[in-house]
Amino acid sequence: MIGKDLKGIFFLLFFSLIIAFSYNHFSACGLALSGRWEPSKGVVSARSKTDDVNAAIQINNPEIIQQIVQDKKRIVLDVRPRELYNQGHLPGALSFPLMEFDQKIIQILDSISRQSALLVYCSSVKCTDSHIVAQRLISLGYDNVKVFSGGFGQWQEKGYEIEKYEG
Amino acid sequence: MKLKNMKDKYSPVLCFIIKLVLGITFIYASYHKIADPAGFARILYGYAIFPNFSINFLAITVPFLELVAGFSLIFGLFSRSALLIINALLMGFIFLIGFNLIRGHEFDCGCFVFSSHDKIVSNIFLLIRDILFLLSGIYLLRKIKAQ
Repeated sequence: MIGKDLKGIFFLLFFSLIIAFSYNHFSACGLALSGRWEPSKGVVSARSKTDDVNAAIQINNPEIIQQIVQDKKRIVLDVRPRELYNQGHLPGALSFPLMEFDQKIIQILDSISRQSALLVYCSSVKCTDSHIVAQRLISLGYDNVKVFSGGFGQWQEKGYEIEKYEG
Repeated sequence: MKLKNMKDKYSPVLCFIIKLVLGITFIYASYHKIADPAGFARILYGYAIFPNFSINFLAITVPFLELVAGFSLIFGLFSRSALLIINALLMGFIFLIGFNLIRGHEFDCGCFVFSSHDKIVSNIFLLIRDILFLLSGIYLLRKIKAQ
């Protein structure tokens, strides 16, 4: 009985592995065999074929971000929901929630030129909203877009200045 | 004597129901994970238990193991083996949910649909549900052996 059970388990495991890796290979949403799960290297990602995360546009060092914010070198966009933005955000950041992208983009199209340097952030390295917005902005012709991978969470952890909405 | 007769009479029906419930639950649970493996991988990462190198491998394989074991149990192909796999998976889920609840780590179980809100109460409910499933699985394993 035990021998038969073990044979069955091996058969089912083997069969599952075959269809799992075949499906993963041919599926449009398949994953790479290893993901990017190291927070120090930016927003974590399974590196799927439809991955939103673009490692090339990330800034992982919060000190560089602090310098950018201090010197106002980039227009900073907070893509978290507005309630979170109101509770606290990076100094000078504009609220640009992912959910309101279409309305917001119409508002900023006139005021921000395509050549402007932009910096996008969301909550933390676990959040891909910043990358989704960055990709959409890039596809609209904004070619100088960077993502702060650590997001508001890391900014807060570092104890940097936080601005609150006084509306 | 009467009770024993009743047990013998209803045991096959109970076994059939448990098979169906466990099988369908595992097939259904695999569906969302197969449709969005990247989302499932993020859920696994969120548990903060698995080594980073294993996350993609688990996200690719576990949903299909659930699917195959679910179908195998329902259609009676290697049903004891399928049940052993299902019970092992359930023990794994119970450990994951229980361990994170005990250490107070917020997580999304990702059992069926990937939700954005983590609630301790719903995770306690999931833990109880998985324990009940496991008890049913152990009962069924004993019955299949007896047959």
